[in-house]
Amino acid sequence: MKLSELKAGDRAEVTSVLAEPAVRRRLMDMGLVRGTELEVLRFAPLGDPIEIRYKGLLLTMRLNEAEGITVNKLASAEVCTDGGGGIRRRHRFGRGA
Amino acid sequence: MKEIRVALAGNPNAGKSSLFNALTGAHQRVGNFSGVTIEKHEGYLDYRECRITVVDLPGIYSLTPYSPEEIVTRRYIIDERPNVVVNVVEGTNLERNLLLTVQLMEMEVDLLVALNMIDEVEQKGISIDIDQLEKLLGSHIVPTSARQRKGLDDLLDHIISVSDGRIEIRKNKMTFSPQVEKAVESIAGLLGHERDLSKANHRWLAIKLLENDREIYSQVQKYPVWVKVELAIQEAISECGLLQGTDPEVLITEDRHAFVRGAMQECVRQPRVSRATPSEKIDMVVLNRVLGLPIFFFVVWAIFQLTFTLGAPLMDALEYAFALLSDTVAPHLPNPVLRSIFVDGVISGVGSVVVFLPNIVLLFMGLSFLEASGYMARAAFVIDKVMHRFGLHGKSFIPMITGFGCSIPAIMATRTLKSRSDRLATIMTIPFMSCGAKLPVYVLLTGAFFPPTMAANVMFGIYLLGIVMGLWTAWILKSTVLKSESEPFVMELPPYRWPTFTSVILQARMKAVMYLKKAGTLILGAVMVIWASSNYPHSRALEAELARETVRIELSPVAQEQKEQALRHLQASMESRQLEYSLAGRSGKLLEPLIRPLGFDWRIGISLVTGLAAKEVVVSTLGTIFSIGHAEEQSGLSAILRSDPGFSRATALSLMVFVLLYIPCVAAMGVMKKEVGSWKPVLLYSGYVLLVAWVASFITYRLALLFA
Repeated sequence: MKLSELKAGDRAEVTSVLAEPAVRRRLMDMGLVRGTELEVLRFAPLGDPIEIRYKGLLLTMRLNEAEGITVNKLASAEVCTDGGGGIRRRHRFGRGA
Repeated sequence: MKEIRVALAGNPNAGKSSLFNALTGAHQRVGNFSGVTIEKHEGYLDYRECRITVVDLPGIYSLTPYSPEEIVTRRYIIDERPNVVVNVVEGTNLERNLLLTVQLMEMEVDLLVALNMIDEVEQKGISIDIDQLEKLLGSHIVPTSARQRKGLDDLLDHIISVSDGRIEIRKNKMTFSPQVEKAVESIAGLLGHERDLSKANHRWLAIKLLENDREIYSQVQKYPVWVKVELAIQEAISECGLLQGTDPEVLITEDRHAFVRGAMQECVRQPRVSRATPSEKIDMVVLNRVLGLPIFFFVVWAIFQLTFTLGAPLMDALEYAFALLSDTVAPHLPNPVLRSIFVDGVISGVGSVVVFLPNIVLLFMGLSFLEASGYMARAAFVIDKVMHRFGLHGKSFIPMITGFGCSIPAIMATRTLKSRSDRLATIMTIPFMSCGAKLPVYVLLTGAFFPPTMAANVMFGIYLLGIVMGLWTAWILKSTVLKSESEPFVMELPPYRWPTFTSVILQARMKAVMYLKKAGTLILGAVMVIWASSNYPHSRALEAELARETVRIELSPVAQEQKEQALRHLQASMESRQLEYSLAGRSGKLLEPLIRPLGFDWRIGISLVTGLAAKEVVVSTLGTIFSIGHAEEQSGLSAILRSDPGFSRATALSLMVFVLLYIPCVAAMGVMKKEVGSWKPVLLYSGYVLLVAWVASFITYRLALLFA
């Protein structure tokens, strides 16, 4: 599935990065290569860029860039549950659930 | 004295600039890298009989040809050959930082690693086996903390030892996966046969070619050996595709990651990360779905309130000082022409510009605080969707915000936007972001025509109007002439950090010096031109009339008091008629029919023309022109404007809108031309903004009259 299809709090593993060369390069330079485990932290207040955490790093990207990253969703055993408002995902403005 | 040149390279937010500041202190200067408008900070220090020149290279994540910063960095390292390259790495984010280190290793330079933010590393309980990491990287690692000034001498000692050759850099070679390694070796071998490339680093060129690096392609394509090289690249691509299911570029990147990952596992012990770091806790509030936007707008609003509320008393003090200076100087200049030059021209002109320095310094302190604290990136994250809707990029927001300080650095800052169409749209939006030099105009007019409680709100409204018009312009551009793909939005949110006092001060000081230099040279020149053109040519007829009338009043049979009053009136009306007769008056008159519908008379017309030199000149021109004829009243410019019949609240509003929107100053136009590449779009743009300004001012003026 695509990174853009995950929900806040989901954990996943990157299986491929397919985007136009400049974007792909940028994503890989930021450490998003095959096998990277990541967690979706939140979506911006207006629902578009997405924020993910991996390797102790916080990265943001637009949903159309996140579409280029295919992931394997991991069992959400230790998903962050501290119910901060930012973690909850309610797509009131976003692209619709 | 021995000279050593050192270049600092590293990721954004690795503390490069702090280290640079800590090393060079006040011995800095800012320039540009040749050919591009990316700032080049250069400084020096003397240490143990050595003059060490330090260049702070732009913050980068990689050495690809996709961003101008990365190209500048690698060109600098290859062409300028610094004696030592210091790679500043963020100790708390080692894994990502080492990816750049590995790429610097590939360049086979004399590399030193400054393991920065070592205080935070210790605080977080991270342990790093430096000896082992040194063995893996092949270069020495010096723990530093720029913030606490720790490890600086150690770093300098190492720099000297490396440049002396007393420390040998092993220049380890990272081994890639077999297919890649085979291709690298064969391509490097081919390049070795090319005589013109004999001095180049063949291995590095081969890696870059396999990474599909456009820059290196065009560099190597010139040579006959290219035919064979291209074949080898094709072969590598098909082999990697066959055996690994991907292309060499991905494999090379993954190999670097694997190397770094291995190094991390071998050398770094991190305590189990607690549930949420302090930064993440802050983000839960600051980036909250509900609170995120209000906080964002509050921060922007607070910055401006802070600038005005804190700036006001300082401004008053400066204004007082300049008035005092005029009073002190005037009696020592018996010659009326000289007195007029100094008091009306120089002191009042420069004074009314310098007086706004506190506002500008405070604003830039606020902006650099936002930048250094890490909020600026969050702001881009929060606002990107809106910016994207207008065809801009979340990153356009930072140059746009900088535009509130000054369009010139802001336009230069758009270099961080990769796509040309994003960059152009942002450049054309920036002049609408009301710059610091327009601020004096608003401060003067709101101060004169609005009560203090309303002044800040009116000003906020003006800024808001600029933002709206700017975004509208961007949207028009992006949906017509610049219709093309937007730049990707991939951005790191750095951990929140408390900005150091010195870095904020140094930033603000730099901007203040820039502003003052402008005020000192350009503005003084402009003021003198205005002074001359508003005094010359002299009308002989008026002089004769003045003499005749004076005699008539002196001889008239009325009381001495009445005579003096009549003489004062005569003097004032003669001065204003002389101004009308002067060069400036005539050019203002020429413009008057065009600007009359906006509520402007010829005197404002002159100010608008001279304001093209720099927007703050609008204020000094108004000062020069309106203070003539008010010589005996020692009141400030706001009081004079308030009492002037040609100036109402509606005029003030209309003028603020016009100054906000019309053609940017000549310096900004120059930079814009350089960034855009030709005059044509700049001139078209000027015509567009003039039209927008005229229409908006017209509407403002008519509405204000309606509600007055």
